[in-house]
Amino acid sequence: MANWDELAEALADYTVSCNENERLRKMQRDWSRTLHFICSDTGTTFSLMVERGEILASPEGHVGTPDIVVTTHSETFCDMFWGDLNPVQKYLRGEITVKGSQEDVMRLDAISYVIWPDS
Amino acid sequence: MSGGDGAHPVALALRRSIGTATATATSAGLAFAAIDYLGVVSVLAYAPGATAALAIFIGGGIVLLVSGIFSELNGLYPSAAGIRLYLGRAVGNRTALAVTFTYMTTVVLVIAADAFLIGAAVRHVLGEPAALAYLWIAVLLGLATGANLRGVRLAGWVQTVVTYTVLAGTAILSVVALFHVGGAFRHPFDLFGKGSFSGIQAVAFALFLYAAFEWVTTTAEEARTPPVITRALFIAPVLIWIVASLFALALAHLEPFSSLHGSAYPQLLLGRAALGTVGELWMLALTVLTALNTFNGGFLVASRFIYAAARENNLPRQFAWLNLQAVPWVAVTSLAVVSAVVAAVVFATGQWLLLVAVGAAIEAGIYAIGSLCLVVLRRRDTRERPFRLIAGRPLAMIGIVLFSVLFVATGFSDPKNAHHFSVAPISVIAILGALSTAYVLLVVPKLQAAAAARTAAARPRRRPARPPAATQEPVPAPGSAPPADD
Repeated sequence: MANWDELAEALADYTVSCNENERLRKMQRDWSRTLHFICSDTGTTFSLMVERGEILASPEGHVGTPDIVVTTHSETFCDMFWGDLNPVQKYLRGEITVKGSQEDVMRLDAISYVIWPDS
Repeated sequence: MSGGDGAHPVALALRRSIGTATATATSAGLAFAAIDYLGVVSVLAYAPGATAALAIFIGGGIVLLVSGIFSELNGLYPSAAGIRLYLGRAVGNRTALAVTFTYMTTVVLVIAADAFLIGAAVRHVLGEPAALAYLWIAVLLGLATGANLRGVRLAGWVQTVVTYTVLAGTAILSVVALFHVGGAFRHPFDLFGKGSFSGIQAVAFALFLYAAFEWVTTTAEEARTPPVITRALFIAPVLIWIVASLFALALAHLEPFSSLHGSAYPQLLLGRAALGTVGELWMLALTVLTALNTFNGGFLVASRFIYAAARENNLPRQFAWLNLQAVPWVAVTSLAVVSAVVAAVVFATGQWLLLVAVGAAIEAGIYAIGSLCLVVLRRRDTRERPFRLIAGRPLAMIGIVLFSVLFVATGFSDPKNAHHFSVAPISVIAILGALSTAYVLLVVPKLQAAAAARTAAARPRRRPARPPAATQEPVPAPGSAPPADD
């Protein structure tokens, strides 16, 4: 199980990777969403605020009304934000569950794909 | 405990979510494509006159069993992965993949069929030479591809309006046609009038009219609450039943079957017979409107499936390439090209009723597989479900037998001649199934090995190793086996 410090470290790296990727920023330029995350094993929750493709904040707890809610193990979240696993594989096996439109789910995966095409 | 096992159910309201009316429209819109007008003709081939309405009614009753089965499966795994996930959990990933690849070919068939049918209908009304249908097919698929590549989506409310317009418009014209002519219905209960097996084949083709309504489960993640999808799964078949029954009654009443079974646009013939040119244009407009749902929903479902399969390393990675609109452009373009080729082949050979038979058989097969999933998952996954089918296990067992019979009934059918059996539909399905299975067994392992090698060569694991003090995993006892890698 990963604690909040580990998650925060992974999120910080993920934020830098996303915000510094020009192609991703261009691709997500019309994508402004609030994402909520739930760790199914620890109950930890956190949020991600994206504005025109830029990640503005990733606070602990749920902030605002979500467009997408993602639930999985804390370890899976950590690996996902570090780019060490392919989220689609976990998703298609039902190990990551998502609430949100198919388009947003696709955009969320596109982030991982663009910054880590070989994950 | 797996991550997404529902131990902490999500109780958060999304900013944007879909309700019952939109979900029902999505379900009915996915099912009611232009090919359904031909589907009614296929039912009439086996159930003459007003008996077609009886077959459609029985088919609707059977579809409600499918509604119950998919409602429970969807409640258990509310995911866009849908049948792929149910099957994966029930019988394993490889089988799930092979079946899903075969299933997805129905999407290509429906897109191709609609491109051909709409092209043929437009060409007919404009009085153009037959060869111009190729041009219309290219134009329609080109427009659909262009819109998809630019990331254009139908807004939910537009899709809802389009679906209800098509359903209401078809029903109204059918009622007008029935009042216009009057008189008693012919052959109302003659289900086995064309042979001892004809009644079963009529019901099997009636099932095709509802086909793809269950794809609404792929929107489960955006549903306001789990019962939204369940309600849609039960309401949409009722709407389709009403519209298809009225259309079948009107068609049988106004047009002799001999003029229908050779036509690619029976709906235009009905429109003309009922209201002349106005009726014909009315039905043409509705036919074109069905394309919005087919091309929007079909392209979206199939291209995103291809993208996900490529991301999972089950298809070449090129299929996951994204353009600047975050659209998997190789997947969308390939889909359009394959659909265009299939549509052109169908037009050249005149075998559009074969498409109906293949589609009907694959759907019946998928319903049998869905029933099997429920039987297995009742045993393997005992979690609470938002919807639990009463007497689910025996009903699902009945479903396996029933839909297998209907699969055989359509697989060996020849809608052009009800007294004749044909191996063409089952042969097409067997080839598609064999290709899918061979691909999964022979090609997928190589793709996955290549992907693993690529990942290993690209970079080491990025996540920092935990300091020993922070490790919370239990230390294995001396002599115990190390934990297995995922």
